[in-house]
Amino acid sequence: MSYREKENIINIFSGLLITAIFAWAVYQRHLDGRIDLTDDFQQWGIIFLIYAGVSVVARIIIYIIFHIINAIVTREEDIPQEDERDKLIKLKATRNSHYTFSIGFMAAIIYLALGFAPYTLFIVFVISGLLSEIIDNGSQIYYYRKGV
Amino acid sequence: MRFNANELTQQELANAVGVSRQTIVAIEKEKYSPSLELAFRIADYFNTPLEEVFSFHPDEE
Repeated sequence: MSYREKENIINIFSGLLITAIFAWAVYQRHLDGRIDLTDDFQQWGIIFLIYAGVSVVARIIIYIIFHIINAIVTREEDIPQEDERDKLIKLKATRNSHYTFSIGFMAAIIYLALGFAPYTLFIVFVISGLLSEIIDNGSQIYYYRKGV
Repeated sequence: MRFNANELTQQELANAVGVSRQTIVAIEKEKYSPSLELAFRIADYFNTPLEEVFSFHPDEE
């Protein structure tokens, strides 16, 4: 398995793990009554900003651990440079990811139009954001395996 | 063609033309069509005309 494929698998699992832990922590606070996610949209804004920060820091730590383990196992210390094939694969994967997020965005708007509670908009955003990331990394693995 | 060039390894060819070994593997397995620039660089490395290294099969597209 190439470095890029491993990197994408790590991305999928770290994205799922970070989002799951963060969502669980936020939901516990909601259940405890410390935050109100049903009406207070300012809380959603704060949560999204904290999530962005936590996600970046957690990913950096996961990347460092991944790189160390990969270097020990493969005995290759250098990260392979991105070439034209990597760039083309990334471009196609990003296109698929954007399609997914656009569908999620439309789904959120449709939910609102159908009269669902406004906070469902944020939940659909989180789910479509996570799905688009999985599609991005999954597409890259697919193109690396099947060809582009 | 690599074998005719002193059994050149995929890694050596990759280093010479500035791509990863995986890209050379993908080109050899016909899983990736290189850009014109890379195709010329590979042909140039073997000192061979482009059409002797690569061929175009529109039916397979």
